[in-house]
Amino acid sequence: MKRWRAFSALVLCMDVGFSMSNSAPGEEPPFELAKKVIQKFVQRQVFAENKDELALVLFGTDSTKNPLDRDGQYQNITVHRHLMIPDFELLEEIENQVHPESQQADCILLIGIEALSNNTFNFTFQGIYSYLCILPYFCVLSLPFPAEDDEEGGGDSDRRGPGHPGTGKGLSREQKESLDLVKHVMLSLDEEDGLDQVYTFRDAIEQLCMFKRIERRPMAWPCQLTIGSCLSIRIVGYKAVTEERLKKMWVTVDAQSNQKEDVKRETVYCLDDDNETEVKKDDTIQGFRYGSDIVPFSKVDQDQMKYKHDGKCFAVLGFTKQNLVRRHQFMGSQVVKMFAPKDDEHAGVALSALIRALDELQMVAIVRYAYDRRSNPQVGAAFPCVKQDYECLMYVQLPFMEDLRQFTFPSLENNKKLSPSDTQLSAVDSLIDSMMLVQKDDDDADQKDIFKVHHIPNPAFQRHFQCLHHRAVNPGTPLPPMEPWLKAALERPDVISERCQAPLEEIKRKFPLIEVEKKKKLKTSAQIFGKDAEEPDAKKAKGDEEEDYNLADIAEGSVTSVGSVDPARDFRTLIKLKSLPFGEVCQQLTHRIEQLLSNKNTHYYMKSITCIQAFREQSVKVNKHSLSSFWEKLMMTWEFLKDEVEGSTVSKNEANQVT
Amino acid sequence: MAEWNAYYQNEDEDEEQEEGEQSGDYKVTGRDSLVFLVDASKEMFIKGEDGEPSNFDMTMQVVRSVYTSKIISSHRDLVALVFYGTEQSKNPRNSFKYVYVYHDLDEPGAKRVQEVDALRGEKGARLAAETMGSGETSLGDALWCCANLYSDIKLRLSHKRLMIFTCRDEPHRGDSAKDRQARTKASDLKETGVIIDLMHLMKPGGFDVAPFFRDIVSQPEDESELGLHLEPCDKLEDLQKRVRAKEQKKRAMARLNLCLGEGINVAVGIYATAVTARKPAAIRLYRETNEPVRSKTRTFHMQTGSLLLPSEIKKAQTYGKKQIVMERDEVDSIKKFQDPGLYLIGFKPMEKLKTHHHIRPAVFLYPEEGEVKGSACLFSALLMKCSERNVFALCRCVSRRNYPPRFVALVPQREEVDEGKVQFTPPGFNVIYLPYADDLRTLDPPQCPSASQIQVDKMKEIVSKLRFKYRSEAFENPVIQQHYRNLEALALDMMAPEDTEDLIMPKVDQINHRLGPLAEEFKDLVYPAGYNPESKSVAKRKTAIVGGVAEKKPKAEVPEDELRAHVQNGTLGKLTVPVLKEACKQFGVRTTGTKKQELIDF
Repeated sequence: MKRWRAFSALVLCMDVGFSMSNSAPGEEPPFELAKKVIQKFVQRQVFAENKDELALVLFGTDSTKNPLDRDGQYQNITVHRHLMIPDFELLEEIENQVHPESQQADCILLIGIEALSNNTFNFTFQGIYSYLCILPYFCVLSLPFPAEDDEEGGGDSDRRGPGHPGTGKGLSREQKESLDLVKHVMLSLDEEDGLDQVYTFRDAIEQLCMFKRIERRPMAWPCQLTIGSCLSIRIVGYKAVTEERLKKMWVTVDAQSNQKEDVKRETVYCLDDDNETEVKKDDTIQGFRYGSDIVPFSKVDQDQMKYKHDGKCFAVLGFTKQNLVRRHQFMGSQVVKMFAPKDDEHAGVALSALIRALDELQMVAIVRYAYDRRSNPQVGAAFPCVKQDYECLMYVQLPFMEDLRQFTFPSLENNKKLSPSDTQLSAVDSLIDSMMLVQKDDDDADQKDIFKVHHIPNPAFQRHFQCLHHRAVNPGTPLPPMEPWLKAALERPDVISERCQAPLEEIKRKFPLIEVEKKKKLKTSAQIFGKDAEEPDAKKAKGDEEEDYNLADIAEGSVTSVGSVDPARDFRTLIKLKSLPFGEVCQQLTHRIEQLLSNKNTHYYMKSITCIQAFREQSVKVNKHSLSSFWEKLMMTWEFLKDEVEGSTVSKNEANQVT
Repeated sequence: MAEWNAYYQNEDEDEEQEEGEQSGDYKVTGRDSLVFLVDASKEMFIKGEDGEPSNFDMTMQVVRSVYTSKIISSHRDLVALVFYGTEQSKNPRNSFKYVYVYHDLDEPGAKRVQEVDALRGEKGARLAAETMGSGETSLGDALWCCANLYSDIKLRLSHKRLMIFTCRDEPHRGDSAKDRQARTKASDLKETGVIIDLMHLMKPGGFDVAPFFRDIVSQPEDESELGLHLEPCDKLEDLQKRVRAKEQKKRAMARLNLCLGEGINVAVGIYATAVTARKPAAIRLYRETNEPVRSKTRTFHMQTGSLLLPSEIKKAQTYGKKQIVMERDEVDSIKKFQDPGLYLIGFKPMEKLKTHHHIRPAVFLYPEEGEVKGSACLFSALLMKCSERNVFALCRCVSRRNYPPRFVALVPQREEVDEGKVQFTPPGFNVIYLPYADDLRTLDPPQCPSASQIQVDKMKEIVSKLRFKYRSEAFENPVIQQHYRNLEALALDMMAPEDTEDLIMPKVDQINHRLGPLAEEFKDLVYPAGYNPESKSVAKRKTAIVGGVAEKKPKAEVPEDELRAHVQNGTLGKLTVPVLKEACKQFGVRTTGTKKQELIDF
């Protein structure tokens, strides 16, 4: 496996000679620009933290220090740093030790090659893929690495944009090849336009602003695809797409010493009692929740009883139409591509037959996938993928029944109140027209995508490294603002912004959008009961603690009329709020009482009694004589009812209590 | 001490947030509750033709499956089971006749599952007859009793649902007083925010919703009268589907604005429609009492032993041999780009959305008319047009405060209903997360010959033999099922856990049988004689060992001066772990680590 750990070696060659210090008036001298370029480049390498090594050769130096320094040849060339993993020290050296000097030198390429090939420690490089030199032009030469991934098929397999020089992997394995390449470069340099990636310094700085994208070496996962027990095909899986995370975590350090050793984190267990009595970890056992029960379940038992399986597998359960596997039901966080092993062409043919069969039938394989014995098995779909230069199966995890939540949502189209009119629809139509992110080519064959998300480096990482770098180089200063190029990369392209101006205005006119005022504030019980002014803080705190919420409070929202659930309370609330005329509230309550009494049921009688109590209590407070008429009427009804429900649980005593 | 707790909880907030993102936050919104109000009249126990289960039996099966699924997916939800039309009465104050509260509102547990099990089948019917019997019916009392269940709960309830299972469309046989009482009580319940659903079951002569139940049940959200015209259920599967669709409360993970341009903000809710169900984390219990213990994490200074205040802590990372230190709030601020929201970048044809551009499960977008009036209309127009023109909307998405942006594809999804007018695909946009450049890995695909058309055609035969109709809800997770079976067995003192069928195991015999000679025929076409895909890898490894074993071992030593040179040049990282270990031994350094960096640090 070791043989495959290819990494790259880069030599930065920088002209520090006198010609670099000359510049047109008002322009930065080339030396300064070159230095910036080199610094940016080294920064990228430092944060990428891969094993790529870097050497720095200066030419045009006053002194000479290089392995080929013999008989007056290769003079004025200094190997400032041999090939090794770059670090901040190198960055500081560049900052402080590299100055313009006054000589001139040539044959720099040979020294560069020497620096690459002459590794003192007898270590064999597997891939030397990039060679970078600073001449009057700045060029990043990369071997023609394989067209990235599978992108859009034709029309897009160009180099991965100048933003990613030198990100290819696993390339030419022979040193000789790189020598040839350099020769080739020399030749093409003469032709001038034979080289894609010749940048002027200024361009180069812009391109290098981006920190390298996070790279991981693909890990092979050899397995067998099985269909029943008789048919199997050898395959090798590679993770192709997955949400990459930063490799490093933040460590907590002491603010004074900046030492992580000074800080210790400790977890203690304590009982849920008033004293928070601590218990030792050894005195705890493991348990699991089963609904409301907590079941003690030791690790040993758990291991013995848990689901076990035979380990690694990629077994076909059956085949189904592609359109039955919905895109939005993809689960997990990765896509695995399955190829045949490199050296097994029979497996290659067998797998190709399956891939093509699925592709022609527009079907997928539903498979059981288990990474290894320790990991949980999954169900997933293997999609056929047929590209110009390769074929593979793409595996995506699918949901289990337990993962799904079947929500129903109100229909949008069948709702007349919501459905848009024809003019509204045509406004949306022209908005879509103006905001299409694809451009038709002249020959009308392909559509060019002008906003490719998968070419944007993760802005979170870019910002993270920008801030880290700033803090490392300028300690003690506040963090810098976001870099303009990064901000711009996340915005709508300018062409689109311009084009969509008018259609957006039209949308604004055609679709009134009114922000609904938040009712939430009104909903706190404090405000309902108008106690807000009297005891604001105490009440609020209580509201936050929730716990003893009672059902009606929450359900209430705001009281607008005397409801049937708790008419008495509604009545009191309304009187207090004075949101309705007193008479009307009384009338509503009277109506409710009549309703309750008509039900002829003990429960309802009890309820009506509380209503009457409330009525009385409020009327005493308000002291309006207009009530007396109802009161009399009510008493009559009451007497009548008492007779009718003789022997009911409402005693005379209770009735009298009310009056 | 109390403040310390508060503070350290904050530090773990990140993890919680991520969980919260998936499941919605209970703390904020309170508990969901569900009451099954089941008719226990004689009619419910009549068995169907051909030994079909009775309506009562079917209902109990559904209740059980809801109980178990709640235990797995949302154990904090409260569930109750109440029978009406019983002979016996059992309710909190025993003030209602003919109402039997079998389970009051609580989290479902093992015992309850067992108790529901006891009511299933032939035996269950007998048990029901013994304990509850069938008597008179007063739905009004039953509803009132349910209302009391809700109001007795001291917890905050966010979603209240009541499902009536019955096969009688006129429960009071025309007693208008009772009808009226039931209607009043139903409207009381609805007023307190309880949603009443009818799960009407088949009875001879059909079930007429109109005369009575129309006034009992809640109006559907969209007033399109979906639901009322539903046919009664006569199949368990249908009933299960109908209950499942209603049983879970849609909970928005976040409410955001979808911004089309300056001042054009559509309010939308984000819903998780598929969330990976995991085995829950273990809880630590005190050995003596089996009561749960709480864990507290504290940070203190090694030398002084004093607890460290937030201001006495910083965060650091090391790159290129240099330690870089930041304040805690700086670490947070780095992650901030924009305020939460969706921002429209433009539109792209559907074919630009690549199948393999998948990094995490999709979420679902639906308008929030309650936040911005007019949202539903514009949303609906966008949905219709995107779907009609087969395009998706590309947006930049910041889902929460201090979350860095991701780009998402809003893929239109039109509503679909089945023959029974039950919605199986809701209208809205599916939100597909798109990968950044960092998320795509560069692979080196092997060059392999392609199959000939004859070989492909043979495989097509195989594929057609093994065709099936994929349904996403068809596969249970064997790991989770086994885990809960185990817990169930332990909780209920069962001898052994119930068997679970591993549904994602290939049915090998069946496949072999269906393929018949096809497998051999295909192998003859693609594999040469004597090729065995199973054993080849083993054979290869053997030869490799024969060839490589001689040089492999002794290489783990490096001359001392060379090592020193490595140390000086900082190139130790080039060496392999065994070499480094050997070197450590050489210099008399004791090592325990196996990580390269640890070894280098020595």
